[in-house]
Amino acid sequence: MTLASIRVLAESSRHLVSRFSSGVTPALTKQVRAAGGARQWFEAQLDPSSIGDPAATDVQSWFPDILYSPETLWRRHQQGVVKGYQVRFQFGCRTLMRRIYSTRQVHEVMTDFWSNLLHVPLGDEESWMHRFEYDAMIRKHALGRFDEMLVKAIPHPAMGLYLNNAVSTKDRPNENLGRELLELHTVGLDAGYTERDVRHSAHLLTGYLVDRWNTFSAYYSTEAHYTGTIRVLGFTHPNTSRDGRPATTAYLRYLAHHPATARRIAHRLCVRFVGDEPPGELVTAVAGTFQRSGTDIRATLRTLVDHPLFYRGARTKARTPIEDFVASARVLGVRTRKPTRDKGFPRGASMQCEKMGQTPFGWPAPNGSPESSSAWIGAGRVISSFGVHLDLVTGTFPKYDVTYQEHTHWLPALPARFDEVVDHMSRMVLGMPAGDRLKWTISQRLGIEGRQLVGGGDLPEHRVIPMLQLMLDSPTHMTR
Amino acid sequence: MTNEIDPDASRDSSCCNDFRVTRRKLLAGFAAGAGGLAASSLIGRAARQVAYAAALGGNVLVVISLRGGADGLSMIVPHTNADYYRLRPNTAVPSGQLVWRDGTFGLHPSLAPLLPMWRAGTFGAVHAVGLAAPNRSHFEAIEIVEDADLGSGARTGWLNRMIGLDAFEGQVEGVHFGSPLISTALVGDSPAIGLTELSNLQLPVYDDATATREGWRNLWAGSRGEFGDNVRLALQTAKSMRSLAGATVDVSRYPAGPLSAVLANTALLIRSNVGAKVVTVDYGDWDMHSGMGSASHGWMKDHLYHLAQSLRVFFDDLGTTWGTKVTVVTISEFGRRVAENGNGGVDHGYGNCMLLLGGGVRGGRVHGEWPGLSELTEGDLRVRQDYRSVLAEVISRRFPGTNISAVFPGFRPAPIGAMA
Repeated sequence: MTLASIRVLAESSRHLVSRFSSGVTPALTKQVRAAGGARQWFEAQLDPSSIGDPAATDVQSWFPDILYSPETLWRRHQQGVVKGYQVRFQFGCRTLMRRIYSTRQVHEVMTDFWSNLLHVPLGDEESWMHRFEYDAMIRKHALGRFDEMLVKAIPHPAMGLYLNNAVSTKDRPNENLGRELLELHTVGLDAGYTERDVRHSAHLLTGYLVDRWNTFSAYYSTEAHYTGTIRVLGFTHPNTSRDGRPATTAYLRYLAHHPATARRIAHRLCVRFVGDEPPGELVTAVAGTFQRSGTDIRATLRTLVDHPLFYRGARTKARTPIEDFVASARVLGVRTRKPTRDKGFPRGASMQCEKMGQTPFGWPAPNGSPESSSAWIGAGRVISSFGVHLDLVTGTFPKYDVTYQEHTHWLPALPARFDEVVDHMSRMVLGMPAGDRLKWTISQRLGIEGRQLVGGGDLPEHRVIPMLQLMLDSPTHMTR
Repeated sequence: MTNEIDPDASRDSSCCNDFRVTRRKLLAGFAAGAGGLAASSLIGRAARQVAYAAALGGNVLVVISLRGGADGLSMIVPHTNADYYRLRPNTAVPSGQLVWRDGTFGLHPSLAPLLPMWRAGTFGAVHAVGLAAPNRSHFEAIEIVEDADLGSGARTGWLNRMIGLDAFEGQVEGVHFGSPLISTALVGDSPAIGLTELSNLQLPVYDDATATREGWRNLWAGSRGEFGDNVRLALQTAKSMRSLAGATVDVSRYPAGPLSAVLANTALLIRSNVGAKVVTVDYGDWDMHSGMGSASHGWMKDHLYHLAQSLRVFFDDLGTTWGTKVTVVTISEFGRRVAENGNGGVDHGYGNCMLLLGGGVRGGRVHGEWPGLSELTEGDLRVRQDYRSVLAEVISRRFPGTNISAVFPGFRPAPIGAMA
């Protein structure tokens, strides 16, 4: 007897969807098919506002403490209504929930990419109350234009407070942001700027102050702005006006459009979506579009996914700990609801990510967490991930406000050949047919021959759990 | 090397259950995974030698990375230097508050918990130390410090090259605590593991431990890259250190803060004597561009005090036997500018100090040639001691016979005199 197979995506379609989502689920497979194919799905995803996203709206309402203005957040913190660390934690939780449940998967992925490039750690004590608005700004531009995003991100009080630009004045310039803007956010060290360029960069950025420790309101101070000619790389500006904002905007646009920035961002995109050492030809093509299109992110991504080299090296990118948890929850069809208690699913999710070595926006330095896979695949991470997978397939943790699938959910109509049962589960969990190695491994693990006919009595819950465990612990699931 | 690659690797799945991992095979696997880069990174293994120290009960090196660029001038204070006080009107440490002084330097009051070790001669420092050339980028400076052989093109760290010089089956000699991510210093061909804590070594088994381990081996047997190698390393390490997975780590003696759990875990790992030769720990948040504070209160005072207090408890925790076998070294990617900025902070600089504690240290004094502060490099303390000279001295004294030129290729260390 043969089973009616669950339909899965063709290998190349699965590759595109896997790289630009947080995990291929049966539901996502249906959406891709309904869109007419992976590339059409991707195109639709590039316009997130055209896609209904009830889950994200729902999740938004679970964490009302985040939704206040920076000033109110600070006041509530001071009054002891809700402490800053609690709001920050909720924000991390909300981010994880959106990544699991949002239908705008490409938007979520790209928001994460830009947040990591223009990184402001959630743990920073000074900037947190502006961090949520910063996130909204990144989301707004994540599939728009990089120059528009940069112009908003660098003078943003969250960035200014984190990298000391919010205290940098003409009499007391602080180099921190002026330097990282060049090194991390735009042209990179190879562009060959000098220490003098760094000082000029910092001088031009003076004026964007914040009323620290009082109201935490952001304002522009013409008194604090340094005036005088600014020269950084090929950028020159007389900078004679005490309102330095137009000059700053011109400078940021110059940096956004600099060929070194195009090259650097193209390389980073290719590392995220292709491989740790992406082909130079591909990077050049992506950089070319970024440059020519005036930093149009959608056009840049189209060049990336339409390039034949994009399809090389499927499953060479390791999932980061967060990607691992999010994908695991997605493919296991874990359902959750508004947390009714402190220890609910979102909190547990965050704790599990931390156990594996990553929390949302938790990276403690301005360079963002590593985009390269090799950083994330240490032996310690492997053991932690295996543990988190087991917690999920047994439904042990997170424990509250969550519904896990019954073990029968994963089984086809029985009786069936055991290797066909494995194949059925593989299609559901991994989004692809079971390979020989997986079939053989699971056969060995359970001591059931592949060709053996099995019924429901042969596969009680405690036999299905090790099957799911091995699928999540497999190279297929731990890469994307 | 190709003839060393595990023959099991190419077997088809029907034979996977025979797959066994040994350290030697692991090394071969790493080489295969490294592909074209392997050629230059094999130097270490070609020079593999008889191990002197990795035998159980041997010396241990603990490297604490003070990430963010720690201000060495606030730690080991040039208190007789008028320029120091002129350039730091708000943030200088007053001479009267120093807890120890000689004619040139003094110790920040936050180092008071370590004063007994300083007096006993087991805590010392080297000043005006750093990279061969200034680099004021955090990330590039860290990469240079930890790779310490940029010319080769292979991304291996100096600590990885060091542990690669001896071969012990079934032992992981390099451990990073605090995160599953290991730093560049430990990256390379030799097995190293990053752990949040020792309990990470507990393999998650649902029902049948043997069948589960075999399942993992089988699943990953076809993955010959770094990821697969690390899965095998994980299984092997969990086995060789299984006695530690269930151990209770007592953090109660440690002061609350970022170092408590990592140092408590480090001490337990060392005392358990399972062959760890190098332990790395990160202690970040030194990027004090603004609001560094004064000697009496604020960021630097609190941050340094946590380090000093934690290290004091760490050596107590190690006890007398291990305390003499363990040497602690601090490294930071750069020092800070001599002149404070307008925000009560200090920007990225150059020369810095390193702290040395424990076994073999000639303490109670500040080593190294001191350039003073009248002549600066772009406003920064000059470097008179290459940081590799300090590390080379630690390695050659604590792990005698180590081929230093394999750890720091092309570098000729200068004598510092900081180690007995």
